[in-house]
Amino acid sequence: MNSGQSLAVPRELPAAWDAVTAALVSPASSGALSEESLSKALDLLCRHNLGPWVEGWLLETMQVRLTSTVAPEFWAGLEQPENELEERDRARILLGAFRTLLARLEPFLGGLERLGAWQDEGRGGLCGPGAPGLRERAFSVIRAILLFSPSAVLQERVLEFYSRTFAVHMIQEGEGGEGEGEGLPGPDGALCPGCAAPPQQCWCQEALEQLQELSHILSRLQLLERVSSEAVTSILHRLIEQRMERRCRGEYESSFLSDFQEWLERVLGWLSRVFVSETRAPCGTMAPAGADSGGAGHPGSAVLQRWRCHMHQFFCRIYVNMRIEELFSIIRDFPESKPAIEDLKFCLDRTSQRQQLLTSLKSAFETRLLHPGVHTSDIITVYISAIKALRELDPSMVILQVACQPIRKYLRTREDTVRQIVASLTGDAEGCSDLANELSRADPVTLETQDSEDEGSDPEEWTPDPTDALTDKTGSKRRSSDIISLLVSIYGSKEIFIDEYRTVLADRLLHQLNYNTAREIRNVELLKLRFGESHMHYCEVMLKDVADSRRINANIREEESRLPEEEQPPLLLSAMILSSEFWPPLKEEKMELPPLVSQAMEAYTHRYEKLKAMRTLSWKPHLGSVTLDIELGDRTLTNLSVSPIHAAIILHFQDKSCWSLEELSGVLGVPQEMVRRKLALWQQQGVLKEEAGGRYSVLETGASRERPERGVLLIDSDEEGDSNTTTQSEQREEKLQLFWAYIQAMLTNLETMTLERIHSMLRMFVATGPVVTEMDVNELQAFLQRKVRDHQLIVSAGVYRLPKSNH
Amino acid sequence: MASQNMDPAAATSTAALKGSDTGGSAARGSVSKRLQQELMTLMMSGDKGISAFPESDNLFKWIGTIDGAQGTVYEGLRYKLSLEFPSGYPYKAPRVKFITSCFHPNVDENGFICLDILKEKWSALYDVRSILLSIQSLLGEPNNESPMNATAAELWENQGAYKAHLHATYKK
Repeated sequence: MNSGQSLAVPRELPAAWDAVTAALVSPASSGALSEESLSKALDLLCRHNLGPWVEGWLLETMQVRLTSTVAPEFWAGLEQPENELEERDRARILLGAFRTLLARLEPFLGGLERLGAWQDEGRGGLCGPGAPGLRERAFSVIRAILLFSPSAVLQERVLEFYSRTFAVHMIQEGEGGEGEGEGLPGPDGALCPGCAAPPQQCWCQEALEQLQELSHILSRLQLLERVSSEAVTSILHRLIEQRMERRCRGEYESSFLSDFQEWLERVLGWLSRVFVSETRAPCGTMAPAGADSGGAGHPGSAVLQRWRCHMHQFFCRIYVNMRIEELFSIIRDFPESKPAIEDLKFCLDRTSQRQQLLTSLKSAFETRLLHPGVHTSDIITVYISAIKALRELDPSMVILQVACQPIRKYLRTREDTVRQIVASLTGDAEGCSDLANELSRADPVTLETQDSEDEGSDPEEWTPDPTDALTDKTGSKRRSSDIISLLVSIYGSKEIFIDEYRTVLADRLLHQLNYNTAREIRNVELLKLRFGESHMHYCEVMLKDVADSRRINANIREEESRLPEEEQPPLLLSAMILSSEFWPPLKEEKMELPPLVSQAMEAYTHRYEKLKAMRTLSWKPHLGSVTLDIELGDRTLTNLSVSPIHAAIILHFQDKSCWSLEELSGVLGVPQEMVRRKLALWQQQGVLKEEAGGRYSVLETGASRERPERGVLLIDSDEEGDSNTTTQSEQREEKLQLFWAYIQAMLTNLETMTLERIHSMLRMFVATGPVVTEMDVNELQAFLQRKVRDHQLIVSAGVYRLPKSNH
Repeated sequence: MASQNMDPAAATSTAALKGSDTGGSAARGSVSKRLQQELMTLMMSGDKGISAFPESDNLFKWIGTIDGAQGTVYEGLRYKLSLEFPSGYPYKAPRVKFITSCFHPNVDENGFICLDILKEKWSALYDVRSILLSIQSLLGEPNNESPMNATAAELWENQGAYKAHLHATYKK
C-alpha cells in the first residue's frame, strides 16, 4: 500500500506498522508490547506521514471483515431451520446472533477506541477526528452493511420477542390475565400468563434477562433505534387497539382516560427495559432526542419521553377513530354517555380529525335516522340529544351546526314536526320531557333577535374557526346552542309554532271544559319569555276567555237560582265563551237542537246580553259535552257524558219512543248517515234497538245485556278526529284559496306581473292574521307553478298572466 | 265636484270631510284600513265580471275591470277603469273613469262617467264592489235622459246597429 515510498523507508518502518496495527486490532496478543515501544512505533509512523493511514486501514479492515464474514454469519445464525423451533428457542437464537455479532466486532470497536484515545492525546503527533468521530464512522459502516436491507426474519423475531417480553413485563407489573389473549389458561391446564408456557417451563425471568442483554448489545452497537423502533411501534399500536376494543367499545358511561394513562405508564416501564442501556450508553448517542433539551438530565429519559408522546398520540388517535364510529350511539345515549363525550373531546383536541368526525356523523345521521321508518318524535329526541352532546364536545358549536344540517333539512319535510315539537314543549308528548324542562329553564334565550338561518351557504365551504367564533357576535348567535331556538328555527319562523301552539291550546281548553287553566297559564307565561309578549297575545286572550266564561257562568247561575221555583231552567247550561277573533277557526257542523235545549240557550243568551251590553252569543251546538241520566222502564243509567248530538238524539226519544232515520235526520238537520253512526252508541248501550224498516225504538225493559259502569265516559268508536279546531292543512288550504283570489284579481286588473311583484303585492294588501300568515317567496313560487300546471295561469319569460279563456 | 259638496243631500258627508281635512294623517291611516278591508271583501265575494286591485303600492289608486253583462250588447267586451280615492273617502266619492274607451250614452270621450251614485247620490255605505256593479249595470241600462254622448244615445234605440258600431269601435 505504500510501495511508492518504499525506497525511502527505513528498515524499522514495517515493524512499527505491524506493532501499531496489532495493538489496535488484537490488544490481547500484543499485550507484551510495552507502551513505550508502541509510542516509538507511532512516532516513527507519524514522522513518515503514515499517521492518517492507520485510521483508514482500521476502518477498511473492519468493513471488509464485516462484509465477507460477520454479516453473512449473523444472517445465517438468525435463519437457522425454524420449523421445529419453539418460541423460546427462537428468542435464544436471536440473542445468540447478536452476541456473536458483538463478539466479532468488539476487537475493531476496541481498536477504534484506542486509536481515538491516541488521537485525542495527540500521541506521536497523531491527529484525527478523535474517539467520538471514529465511533460515529464505524457505526455508520456497521449500520450500512448489516442493515442495508434488514430481512423480514429479523423484524419478525424482534417483534415476537418484544411482544413476549411485553407480556411478561405487564404480568409482573400486575396487569393480571389481561396482557395477551393467547396467554389465557387453555383447556390443557394453566399456562404461565406471561410466557404462555406450562408453569414448570416458565421462562419469564429468562426472557427479561435476555431482553436486558439484547438491549445492551444493541445499544453498544448503536443499533437500538434501527432494530427496535418499528417493532415497538407496531406492538404499542396493536396493544392499545386491542385493549381499547376490549374495554371501551360500546361502553360510554365511564371515562377511560385516567385508566389508560395508568396503563400507559406501566407500558413505559417496559419501554424503559427495551431502551434501558441507552441511558447508560456513553455520551454522544445518535438518537436525535439526545440533542433534545427535553428537560431530562440524560438522553435515555429523553428517548422515553419521546416514546411517551408517541404512545399518547397513538392512544388519542385510536380512541378518536373508535368513538367516531360509535358517535351516533353515544349521542343517542346522552347524557348517560357524557364521560365518553368528555374523553372524546380531550382526544379530539390532540388529533386533527374533526373533519373525519363531521363526515362520519353526518352520514350516520342519514343512514340511521333520516328515513321514513323513524318516527318524527324519535328524530326530534335524537336531535335534542345531539344538541346537548355536541355542545359539550365542541363549545364553538361548529360541529353541531354542520353535522345537524341534514336533520334540520329532513325535519322540514315532515308534516308533523311542528305538532311534535309543540307537544313536547308543553309536556304532552309521552316520554319526552326534555323540551318541557328546557322551556322552564331559568335563563331563557329570547327568540326575538333570532334570524332565520341562511340556507344557501354550503357547510363544506364554511371553515371552522373556533377562536374567531368566540369573539364574533353574529357568528356565535348563528351557532346558537339553545335547544328551543334551534328547534324553532328549523322552519325559520316562530309564527308557525305559535299558531300550532294556539291550536293545541284551543283543543286542550275545549276538551277539558272545566275552566282549569293553571297549567296552560304557566306554559303561556314560559312561552312568552321565549317568543315575546306580543306573539302570545292571542293565547292570553284565549285564557282570559276561559276565566271570563267561568265568571259569567257563575253570575248567570246565581241569577237563575234567585228565580222562583217554577221558573228554574229545566237544564243546567254552562258555556265556554270564546272571542272568535282570537281562537283558531272551529269546525263547522250544522245541527238542530231539541226545543228544550235551544230554549235554555236562548235564556242563557238573554242573560248574557244583559250582563254584557252590546254583545251576544253565537252558539256552536255541535261542540261541548252533555251529562245526562236516562230513566228506562226497569233501569236507570246515570251520569253519562256524551257529545251534544248523542244527547239530542236520545232527547227526541223522550217525546216519541219510535223514530225512523228520515224523521230523526229531519228534526236534527243532520245527514242520515251521520245519524245512523251516532245511533250506534245507544244501540251498544242497549237503550235503543233497530226494528224492521229502519225504525228505532227504546228498549224500555228486558235488556239482557250487562249494564254499563256508572259514570262511564261514552265515546263512540268512530269519533272522527279529536280536534275541535280545523287542522293545519285545512287552514292552509283556506289561506291558499284567499291568496289565489288576490292573485287572480291583481292579474285581471294589472294584466302581467313578475313573481316578485306578486309577492310584494300580497305582502302589502293581504291582511294577515292568525289564520292567514305570510307566504314566503319560495312557497308562492311553488304555488304559482302548480297553478300553471293546472292551466289556471300562464307564465312566460318570468311574467305571469291569466289565460284568455278565464274572462 | 265642489258644487256636489254644497248639495243639501250631501250635508253629512261635507261635515265629515271637513273633519277629515283637519284630521290629517291619522285619517289617512283609517282610510287605508277601510280600503284594505274593501279589497278583502271584494276578493272574498267572488263576483264574476267585476274585479279591482290597487295599481301599485299606493292603496289610493286602483285599476278596475268590468266585463259586459250577459244578454246586453256589451257581452264579451272587457273594460278597464281607474279608481282614485280621495283622502276623505268614504265620505267623499272616489273618482272613477274608463281607461278603455267606451261607447256609451253616459260616458264621454275622456272616459268620464255620469252616474248619480258617483256624484250627488254618493254615500259612505257604498264601496268599490257596489260602484263596479253599478257601472256594470249602467252599461246595459243607460240613462238616455241626460246623455254625455248624444250619438250613442240616439243609436241606442236600434240595438243591432248599436252593437255593430260598438264592436267595430271597441279597442282594447
